[in-house]
Amino acid sequence: MRERFALNWLRIPSGMRRALLLVLVGWGLLLISDRISEFRVYQGASVATYFVAIVSIVLLTGYSGQVSLGHGALLAIGGYSAALVMQNLHWPFWIAFFAAVFVAALVGALLGVAAARLSGPYLAGTTLAFAVGLPSLANQFSFLGGEQGLPFDIGVAPSRFGENFSPYKWLFWISALFALFAVWLAANLLRGRYGRIWRAVRSDETAAALSGVNVARSKVLAFTVSAGFAGLAGALLCATVSLVTPGGFPLSLSFAILTGAVIGGVRSLVGAVIGAFTLVILPMVADAIAQGASDAVSTNLPAVLTGVLLIATIVISPGGIAESLSHLGRKIALRRQKRI
Amino acid sequence: MQQFVNTLINGASLGSIYSLMALAMILVWRSTRVVNFAQAGQAVLSTYVGLEIHRITHSYPLTLIIAIIFGALFGALVDLLLVRPLMHRVGDGPIAAVAPVIVTLGLLSAIQGFVGLIWGGEYRSFPAALSQNGFKVGLTRIPFSPFDLFILFTTLLVMLAFAYIFQRSGLGLAMRAAAFEPEVARLAGVRVARVRTIGWAFAGGAGALAGALITPTTLLAPNSLDLLLVFGFTAAVLGGLESLVGGVVGGFLLGIGLALVVTYLGSSFTFITAFVVLIAVLLLRPRGLIGQRSVRNA
Repeated sequence: MRERFALNWLRIPSGMRRALLLVLVGWGLLLISDRISEFRVYQGASVATYFVAIVSIVLLTGYSGQVSLGHGALLAIGGYSAALVMQNLHWPFWIAFFAAVFVAALVGALLGVAAARLSGPYLAGTTLAFAVGLPSLANQFSFLGGEQGLPFDIGVAPSRFGENFSPYKWLFWISALFALFAVWLAANLLRGRYGRIWRAVRSDETAAALSGVNVARSKVLAFTVSAGFAGLAGALLCATVSLVTPGGFPLSLSFAILTGAVIGGVRSLVGAVIGAFTLVILPMVADAIAQGASDAVSTNLPAVLTGVLLIATIVISPGGIAESLSHLGRKIALRRQKRI
Repeated sequence: MQQFVNTLINGASLGSIYSLMALAMILVWRSTRVVNFAQAGQAVLSTYVGLEIHRITHSYPLTLIIAIIFGALFGALVDLLLVRPLMHRVGDGPIAAVAPVIVTLGLLSAIQGFVGLIWGGEYRSFPAALSQNGFKVGLTRIPFSPFDLFILFTTLLVMLAFAYIFQRSGLGLAMRAAAFEPEVARLAGVRVARVRTIGWAFAGGAGALAGALITPTTLLAPNSLDLLLVFGFTAAVLGGLESLVGGVVGGFLLGIGLALVVTYLGSSFTFITAFVVLIAVLLLRPRGLIGQRSVRNA
C-alpha cells in the first residue's frame, strides 16, 4: 500500500522525504500560531517541550529497553547548564541549548556506563534515587543560586519579525523549531543502524551479542543520546518560565514524562506527540473537574489522574494509544481487502 | 569519643527505620519479583490515617496499631486488586519487563496526589511515643532521646517477630517456599497466590511502621517519605535484595554510615554518599555485601 502512496512521493529519497515532511509540518505550525490565542501559543510551547522529553524516553525505554524513573534529573542538568552558559559566558541562547544537550549527554554517558550493567528494578531504583537527590544539590553550591535558582531568559524576538510579535510566539517558534529538529534526528536515528541495533538488543541480548553487536556499548549510547534529548527538553522547559530552580524538577515531573511516553506508546514517535498533548491537556481536564473545589484538589488532581491513567494504560493497552490505533488501522485495512 | 558514640547510637536508630523499609521492599521483591516503589505512598497514606486516629482518640498506641493494620490491609489490597491481575495480563506483552515497575510508580503518583487532595500539601507534625529531648548524662544532654530508644526497641521486636515467623512457623515455611520456587511450592500444596498476598500485607505493615516512626522527625507531607524510599531501597540493595537479614544489616550499616557522614562531613553530603554507595554496591557487588552466591538477573 505504501508503494502506491503517490508513487513513493515521486521517488524522493526517504531521508529527504522526512525532512520535507517536517518542513511542511513546521510551516503549518507557524501558520496556526498566528490564528490562535496567546495562551494556546504558550501551551503549544509546552507541548513541544514535553514532546522532546518523551522522545528521549522513547529512545531509551521503547527502543533500548532500559527504564529511567529519573529523567527529571537530566532535564534539570540541561536547564542549569543552559542558564549557566547564558549567565557566565553571555553567549546567544541557541548556543546555550546546545550546551544543555552536550552536558546532559555527558552525564548520561556516565550514568549509562553504570546503567548498562544494571537490569530492570535495579536501574529503576538507581535512576529514582538520582531524581530524588539531584535537585537538592542545587542548594549546596552557591553558583547554582539555591532555592531562588538562576534566570534563563531567551529574550524577545528580533525586531524584524514585526511589532506585534509576542514573546509567547517567539517562545513557541523556538520550541517548535527545536522539537522538529529533535524528531528529525530521532527518526533518522531509529530508522538507521543504531535503531536496528537497539531493537535487536531489546528483543534478545544474547542473540544480538552473537550477531556481533556490542551490547554494553549500544546501551551506553542509547542512554547518552536519550540524556541529550532530555537536556534539550530541560532547557526548553526553563525557557518557558525564564527560570531554573531546584523546585522546577520534582519527582512528579519524571513521572509525568514517563506517563506521557507510556500513554502515547513507548515505541513510537507518533505516540510521543499524543503523549505530549495528553500531558498538556491533563491539567486542563483536572481544572475542569475541580472547578469550585479547594486549592488542594486542583493542585493534586493532575497527579491522581496521571497515576490512574498510567496504570490503566499498562493494564488495558500496554502498547499505548499509538499501538492501539495502528491495530485498529490494520483491522480496517484487512476488512477492506476481504470486501474486494 | 562522646560524639562518636552518640553518632553511632543515633545512626542505629535511623538505620533501624531504614531496615524496616528495606524489609518491606525485600518481602515484596522475593514473593512477586516487583520492586514496589509505591511503598512510600502506602506508608504516607497509613501515616495520615494514623494522624486522623490521633486527632480523634489522642492515644499513641492506638494510632500506631491502627496505622500498621491499615498499612497491612492496604498492601494486601494492592496485591489483590492491582498486581495479581496485572501479572496475569502483562505476562508477555510488549513492555512486560518494565510494566510492573511502571505500575507501582503510577500507584505512587496516584496515592501521593490523593493524599494531597484530602489533607493538603502543607507539612504537619506527627506525635512521637516518648519525649524527643535527649537523655541527660550528668549535666549534658546527649542527642539520644527516649523516642530513639523506643524506635530501636520496636523495630527489633518486629524483626524478631519476622524471624520467628519465617524460621519457625508453617506460614513462614510456605512463604519461603513460594519465594524460592513458586511452581514446586504449588505442587507441594502451598497456595502461592495467597501466600504472596500475605507477603504484601507484611510489607505494608512494616512500611507503615517505618513511616510512623520517622515522621515525628521529618514532618508529614504527601512526598515526605520519598527519601525513606530511596534509603530503604539502598539498604535493601546493600543486603542483596533477596535476604531479610541482609536488608536489616544493610539498613543499620546505611543509617550508621550516613550519621557518621553528617557528623564529620556535614549534612549536605548525606544524599551524595547514599547515591555513591548505591552505585558502588550495584557495580562491584551486585549480590549485596552479604548476599548469597547466585544472583538472579531479573
